Amino acid sequence: MNLFGRAGRSCLRKTVRSILLLLVVCIISLLFLSGMASRTANIAVKDSTRQAIGAGFLLEYNPENRSQRLAKICEKISEMYPDGQGSYGGVHQEKWNSNGYEVWSVTTDNSFESLKIEDIEKIAAVEGISDYNITTVPTAVKQANFERIEDPDVDQTNDFQGVALIGNRDMSLDANVLSGNVTIKEGRMTTKEDTDVCVISQELAEKNQLKVGDVLQFHSVKEEEPVQEAEIVGIYQVKERMQPYMSGDTYRSENVIFTDLHFPEKVEQDDPLYEKAYFKVADVDDYDAVKEAIKETEINWQWYDLIDNNGNLDTMASNFNDLEKISNTLLLVVAGAAFLILFLIFLFWIRNRTNEIGILLSIGISKSKILLQILTEAVCIGILALGLSFLIAPAVSNAAAGYLAGRQEEQARLQEEMDAGKVATDYQAPELTVTKVETALTPAMLLTDGIGVGGLLVLSTCAAGVLIFRKSPKDILSEMS
Amino acid sequence: MIIEAKNISYFYKSKRDRVILNQVSAAFEEAAFYAIVGSSGSGKTTFLSLLAGLDNPVSGSIFYGGEDIRKKGLNYHRRHNVSLVFQNYNLIDYLTTEENVKLGGKKDAEELLRRVSIPQEDWKRNVLQLSGGQQQRVAIARALASEAKVLLADEPTGNLDEDTAGEIIELIKKTAHELGKCVIVVTHSRQLAREADEVLELDHGTLRRQEE
Repeated sequence: MNLFGRAGRSCLRKTVRSILLLLVVCIISLLFLSGMASRTANIAVKDSTRQAIGAGFLLEYNPENRSQRLAKICEKISEMYPDGQGSYGGVHQEKWNSNGYEVWSVTTDNSFESLKIEDIEKIAAVEGISDYNITTVPTAVKQANFERIEDPDVDQTNDFQGVALIGNRDMSLDANVLSGNVTIKEGRMTTKEDTDVCVISQELAEKNQLKVGDVLQFHSVKEEEPVQEAEIVGIYQVKERMQPYMSGDTYRSENVIFTDLHFPEKVEQDDPLYEKAYFKVADVDDYDAVKEAIKETEINWQWYDLIDNNGNLDTMASNFNDLEKISNTLLLVVAGAAFLILFLIFLFWIRNRTNEIGILLSIGISKSKILLQILTEAVCIGILALGLSFLIAPAVSNAAAGYLAGRQEEQARLQEEMDAGKVATDYQAPELTVTKVETALTPAMLLTDGIGVGGLLVLSTCAAGVLIFRKSPKDILSEMS
Repeated sequence: MIIEAKNISYFYKSKRDRVILNQVSAAFEEAAFYAIVGSSGSGKTTFLSLLAGLDNPVSGSIFYGGEDIRKKGLNYHRRHNVSLVFQNYNLIDYLTTEENVKLGGKKDAEELLRRVSIPQEDWKRNVLQLSGGQQQRVAIARALASEAKVLLADEPTGNLDEDTAGEIIELIKKTAHELGKCVIVVTHSRQLAREADEVLELDHGTLRRQEE
């Protein structure tokens, strides 16, 4: 009878021993699989904060692609015009002499730099987008009937000596408003139905004794005519000064005036220059689905960057990054504990089999073959245990990931309670509530689990075997008697 | 001669002052039944273990068929040259009677079980369900299953009543005289020693032939 015959009979006829090992290995495998599945768990979180302020996407030009587009258009102009000078697609290429040297100049206008309105409208039509906003680049214009705010210590030599207009289709969806930095102190915000209206800062209003209903006059920085008028519909206040678009007091926070979408182009007497577009998602729970739908929109995506609009997503991800850390720790602890448990089981197992080992040694079976027999038994039971664990792992790993996520949520709540009142901040942390936890067991995970558990079985069997098999057959037989 | 001990000495490394075997030499022939007697702790079992290749002597050598057993290895010696029978039967508890016999070698297990008078209905039963005497018979059958020419037995009747012991002694004698094997038995039993062709006594680490 060879060692496999003996191993098979031992497994089948020593049922209690086999079932015990089967259960232990099965539990170890389940813990491993749960740990691995939890690392990549898809946690559906109800973000109460984001639900309240809304979630959305920001569309901007991809700066790298802008350079490529510019280079291509310049090539095209060179092909179109024999002397290489000309205009195409909002790009102007010209040549001039400077001290006898030939100098090429490339300039762009708003039609090149602006987001395409047709692309914005395509995205806005995607199902799940409830509203959208277009924001112009801060446009420098000259004030005609009021004074701007200036810092006497700032060098104004290169400044436009004006103010900055930011046009919005719907001011309530402007990034400054969404972030909570800009709020209305008096009056209202501009809306998509408005024409020739503006919202000014409270500092500007105070300096010029302006109130809602007054009319402001502007003209472009290049020409003093025509003068355009906009009615003040609101006065805003800021928590923190807005970052200036460029240096100089034209762009300082107090001199920023929010207008309806088309007023800046009207004052500048030029094409509109839309810098970014914001798309509001109707239902936060559909966020990912809407994102996928947007990406399927037929527009030239190489031109654009689609950015998750606010920091909430990052916050959510970082909160649950801890789940990955916990899962990794769980895996390490399980690996260590599993080795110890299996080592002790096999030590006990082999010690209880001293009699059998002594008999086999006395009939001339080598120690290595005896160890191989025990290893074969362990591997056979291990394979069955792995099969069993693979069957029940989906349910168990879901439960484990749910438990871990719940603990994480509880921990965050406790931390929040402990931190309450300690730190003064305007940051409004998202209120995350775990609504569903989904785990997926991939073939790679099952393979890793199989290799890991198999390795532990082999390692612990060999480690336990060494303690017994280093003795001589005579000593082992003496222990028997 | 089939197996020979030449000047073998043995002591435990932790107790070097306690010599168990001191320059012991003995030669054993085929078809003969030897009994080794001696008081407890005299080194009988150790001597048998060394003959069986379960351990190496500190000095001296064991020869089988004129060749040092270390040359082919102790595993080989135990597998092919000698077979062992113990006082407490030493059968594997998860195997049947027949499977235990098959463990010993390739000889026909059924034939051997018939030879040692184990009823056929017990062949497929778990070996631990047999009586003590029957278990010792199975152990002898297992020892006979191999091609080994030397059968070494350590107190084979130690756990048996007088009648059963008599049957086992008869079986051992037959093994020596009918099957032509060299049978070396370590025993306290006078009954068993009386039946041996030759009796050797171990005393204070030295072996001497016991006169009639």
